[in-house]
This record gives sequence, C-alpha cells and structure tokens, in this order.
Amino acid sequence: MRTPLKLALIAAALYAGGCATLLSPEAERQLEEARASHRLASEDPRVQRYAAAELASATAALREAERLAAEGASAELVEHNAYLAERRSRTAQGTAQIRQAEADIAAAREERRRVQMEAREREAAAARARAEQAELARREAEMARREAEMRSQLIARERLEKEKVSLAATELAAEVKRLETELADVRAKQTERGWILTLKNELLFDSGGATLKPGAQRALDNLAQFLRKHPERDIAIEGFTDSLGSPDSNQRLSERRAQAVKDGLIGRGIESRRIDARGYGPSFPVASNATETGRQLNRRVEIVINPS
Amino acid sequence: MKRIAFFFLPLVACAMTEPPVSEMTAAREMVAQARANAAQDAPHDLATAQSKLGHAEAALQRGHYEHARLLAQQAEADAKLAWTNAEKLQAQRALREERSGG
Repeated sequence: MRTPLKLALIAAALYAGGCATLLSPEAERQLEEARASHRLASEDPRVQRYAAAELASATAALREAERLAAEGASAELVEHNAYLAERRSRTAQGTAQIRQAEADIAAAREERRRVQMEAREREAAAARARAEQAELARREAEMARREAEMRSQLIARERLEKEKVSLAATELAAEVKRLETELADVRAKQTERGWILTLKNELLFDSGGATLKPGAQRALDNLAQFLRKHPERDIAIEGFTDSLGSPDSNQRLSERRAQAVKDGLIGRGIESRRIDARGYGPSFPVASNATETGRQLNRRVEIVINPS
Repeated sequence: MKRIAFFFLPLVACAMTEPPVSEMTAAREMVAQARANAAQDAPHDLATAQSKLGHAEAALQRGHYEHARLLAQQAEADAKLAWTNAEKLQAQRALREERSGG
C-alpha cells in the first residue's frame, strides 16, 4: 500500500469519527453508574411487575451506551445514553414504588373498611342481643303480669265464692231458725253433718203408730216449702225410739216413721231421690232412757239437712 | 456530573440536518407535566429538566439540531424522573396518612 493512500485512509477514518474520541474516565464512570442503576432496577421484582415499559427503555439506552462504547464512539454519545439509562432506571424504580404505595393504600383502605365493617357487625350483633334480651325481659314481665292478674282474679273469684257460700249459709241458718220458731217442739242445731231439725214423735205420730197426725201436716208443709226453696239440698230422715219394748219392733217402727215423713214430703211434690229415710231404733240416744223425760227426748225424728 | 455530560454535548453537534421535532415536543410536554406536580416534592430534578429544555430550545433556535435532540431527550428523562419522584413521595405520604387512620 502506498504511503499517500495510507495517509488518506487515516485522514478519512479520523474524519468519519467526527467528534469520536477514546472512552474517557468520565464516560466510563457514567456507564458504570448507569449499569448499577439498571441492575438495581432490573433485580427489583416490583419493577418487572409494575414498570416493565420504563425498564425496557432504560435497558435499550444502556445497550446503546455499551454498543457505542464498544465501537469507540464519542464519549459524549456514550455519556448521553448512559445518562438516559440511569435516569430511566431510576424512573422505573420510582414508578414501581408508586404502584407499590398505591397497592398498599388500597390494601390499607380495604383493611380499614374490613375493620370498620367488623366493628359495625359486632355493634349490630350486640344491639340485636340487647334487643333480644329486652324482648325476653318484656315477655317475662308480661307473663308475670298475666299470672298475677290470673291469680288475683282467682283469689277474687274464690272470695266471691266464699262470700256466696257464707251468705247461703247465713240465709240457710235464718230459714232453719224460722222453721224452728214456727213449729213448736222443733229444735234446730248446727252440727258437722249440717243442720239437724229434731221433731218429737209426739208431734208427728200417735204412740206406737206410724201414721202422721193432722198436727204434723203443718210441720211437713213448712219442711216441703223449705226444700222447694233450696233444691240444691238433700235431706236425710232418721227415726229413733226409746229403749222400751223389743229392739226389733223399735227398729221397724223407727223405719216406718221415717218412711212416713218421707212419703208426706213426696206427697208435697219433693223428689224421692232427694230424701234418704232410715230407722235406727233405740240406737244413738240423746238422753237417758231411765227417766220419762229422757225417753221422751229419745223418741224423735231427725231431719238432717246436708250441707251442699 | 450530569452537568459535565451536558457541557460536552456541543462538541457532538455534528451531522443532523432535520430539527428534532418529536423529541422537543415530548420534552416540552413532560416538563409541563412535571411542573404541575414536582415543584414541592422534586424541585431539583424539575430545575434540571427545565434548564435542559431551555438549552434545547436555544440550540434549536441556532440550528444545532443534534445538540438540541440530545438535550431534549435528557430534559424529558429528567422531567419524567422529577414527576415520578414527586408522585412517589405523594403516594407514600397518602399511604402514611391512610395507615395512621386517615
């Protein structure tokens, strides 16, 4: 190769390089800085996830810088591309941090919303529980009130019933007393079995007989009237004798006399089923059979007015 | 250090004949965007971007198109970083407020 051509080629190469220089320490330093920034960004998984486009443009600039440096291009162009690579790497990291913060904000909001929701739900549950408690208490109070009301009604009814009964008893006593005063030789006394009217046999029957005397009619009229007035009360008619004579005949006599009184009342319209008639002969004396006065007391018919 | 790169740039303004229209437009728009949010939170990056855009405009006026192109690219990158850093700080502030029961 001839020298002038050689020189021309060198001149041409220098011209074509234009502003080309060798890689300066400053360019090398900037390139190194760009590589470090880019490495930092590309190793961050958040950057890959959230700022892929920005990272790609940083990568492109870095490759361009490397390529230019390898080809011995001008330090300025190398530095320019290294600079762009460094800025874009940092932008990519910043973008990833923005997305991260936004995601964190969304998560924090969601968490706050969840906590608030839970608090609201707890409050609502507590309110429901309180309402249920109140409703339960109200129902219990209502039940207690009704029970008290029913009990007081029951007590009132019982009192009324008692008053009615005692009124009825008072009325009955008055009637029985009236019977006693209207009929001579009738005595009335109140016992556990109820009122007992004692009629002397002399008033009702001739001695030894079981036919009612005319004088007995008034007593039976009064008794029938009393029974008609008190249809709820049944009576027992019990005949007794003194102890003179045979017990058998006394027994039969007392039975016939009790039956005669029953018949007399039936004849006055009183139902047979309301009257129980029986004789006891000389049993159950009320006085001594040793004296005439005593025997007279033992000869008797007792009308037991059953307590209703 | 960025400043050094920027000072050497005039030397590479060699072989460009067309004005760098798209680079200038992108740089202007990005700087405007950064100006809107970064004045408080990334003032230094914003100032760098604005300064470079100013030099790019001047280079464009003088017909130093290659120089203008590189300055515009750097201004855009600076503005984008300013905007991103400001946005990041604001998001992190919002997150702190949210966490402190905001």
